[in-house]
Amino acid sequence: MALKNIKSKVLRIYPPDTNTDEVISGKYKYDELDLKKLAVHAFESIDPTFYEDSQKVKNPILVAANNFGCGSSREQAPQVILACDVSCIIADSYARIFYRNGFNIGLPLIECKDISKNAKQGDELEVDFDKNVIVNHTTGKSFPFKPIPEFMQQLLEAGGLMPYLKAKNK
Amino acid sequence: MGKTLAEKILSEKSGTEAIPGDIVTVPVDFVFSHDGTMPLAIQQMEKELGTRKVFDPLKVGGICDHASPSPSEQVSNVQIFMRKFARENNMPYFFENGDGICHQIVAEKFSAPGKIIIGGDSHTCTHGALAAFGTGMGSTDVGAIMAYGTTWLRVPESFKFQIDGELPEHVTSKDVFLHIVKEITADGATYMSMEFTGSTVKNMTVDSRLVMSNMAIEAGGKVGLCSSDEKVRQFLAKHGRENEYKELSADKDAVYKDELHIDASKLVPYIAYPHRVDNVKPVTDFAGMELQQVCIGSCTNGRLEDLKVAAEILKGKKVHKDTRLVVYAASRGVMMEAMKAGYIQTLIEAGAAVCPPGCGFCIGRTVALGDGEKVLSTQNRNFKGRMGNNKSEIYLSNVPVAAVSAIYGKVTDPREVL
Repeated sequence: MALKNIKSKVLRIYPPDTNTDEVISGKYKYDELDLKKLAVHAFESIDPTFYEDSQKVKNPILVAANNFGCGSSREQAPQVILACDVSCIIADSYARIFYRNGFNIGLPLIECKDISKNAKQGDELEVDFDKNVIVNHTTGKSFPFKPIPEFMQQLLEAGGLMPYLKAKNK
Repeated sequence: MGKTLAEKILSEKSGTEAIPGDIVTVPVDFVFSHDGTMPLAIQQMEKELGTRKVFDPLKVGGICDHASPSPSEQVSNVQIFMRKFARENNMPYFFENGDGICHQIVAEKFSAPGKIIIGGDSHTCTHGALAAFGTGMGSTDVGAIMAYGTTWLRVPESFKFQIDGELPEHVTSKDVFLHIVKEITADGATYMSMEFTGSTVKNMTVDSRLVMSNMAIEAGGKVGLCSSDEKVRQFLAKHGRENEYKELSADKDAVYKDELHIDASKLVPYIAYPHRVDNVKPVTDFAGMELQQVCIGSCTNGRLEDLKVAAEILKGKKVHKDTRLVVYAASRGVMMEAMKAGYIQTLIEAGAAVCPPGCGFCIGRTVALGDGEKVLSTQNRNFKGRMGNNKSEIYLSNVPVAAVSAIYGKVTDPREVL
């Protein structure tokens, strides 16, 4: 398996059912096609300092409880997270459309049902794709995660759906 | 082994024996996107695939509904970007400027039993009411489908909702769904096909079924399916597409991951209170709460039967002086019919602001709430900030509750006053 392990600090832990309106408000998405500019509004309604804080940690990790990304199909939600240089999200579970959107744009979404209770802001986590475990280097504990389906791995390796399709349809 | 509706449609379309968990590739019968999601889809297509050419101009639709007519120069510029794309591809199906909401337009013109309908909007599950496999995706998926005409789908497990009995007066299909999401929670059907069946569904109009299918996503559902029947045939005939009708229902021995049985006669009008759709209590729990705005319409409850009910309740009455009533029909066709029937005149006489068909109030882009305001709306979602203001509160209800509450200026149980 070719996915590279991810090691970084937890920037935030979000509660259950954090929705896409909270990730990026609908009132901005019609006005702006530049995702880097849109990213300054990420999580604005529930977490006003998110963008600023995201720029202080190198490729941070987001942790969330269950049903992360529920609501709208707006791909601007995972896109602004990616535009804040987040390396991956680890959640207890995801809403379906958000899950699909994440892999489509090359943002790894890892499902680990114990994570929201076993990580704290600032903890250093390592996602080990060979062993399918998340190691919390701050606490020394490990948690197995649901292996990423083969097809989704291929999307990540290609850098997202579009590069995947481009290579396939050559 | 028997198949659920989702398994049946995906088996036929993929040419395989589709079982839950399989990933199948299917041709898409119609793909559409709106002003909130299509510009990014075009951008992804152009940037990543190096093309702006759609696979079949007759199978791709563009709809400016979320902020239309445009309220700002930024939105206008984004819509110019969409129009240009539609023109260079000779796409005949481009809708805007009060044509209506994508889901109503697509239901009227394109959805039919057995079709695969993909939309760049989470409420694309609406089309399941016509036994179409309708599901929402993001802009990259939509861009890929616009270019290639196919997509991959994971065959979902199915959740059966067996709904029997007669709905009491002033209790509607909206309440059936609010009851369901209260029971199973906001992620109770994640990744699943929600399949609505039973005598209550059979007796419902297609307009009413569209409400339940529309809200499937609020419980995490991938699609919200109903069997096709004579009523679906009549709906298609009304829109000049009777030839697209076919009978489609789940096999008797289909296997479901879960089942919920509902006695419709026990249901009451419900309210979903801030800021989650599965925060559901009977309307009586909120009776007397003052409202600054009441909204009737949206892709959930902006159809002809909704406007009819609202007009009947508001006929000869006035909207309360401290409350604003905002009405949005779901499409130009619905608006025209409601005008001919006199509903629009009745609503305007009662004091409603009737706006051009579109998404208007539901996403806070063309109608926004002020600080501290409470709104009762017939839409599908009450997330914080959804109607343009984080400091406001959104309550959801059926149409009769919304209409009587507009008269009294506070949450009112129609069973008490009608």
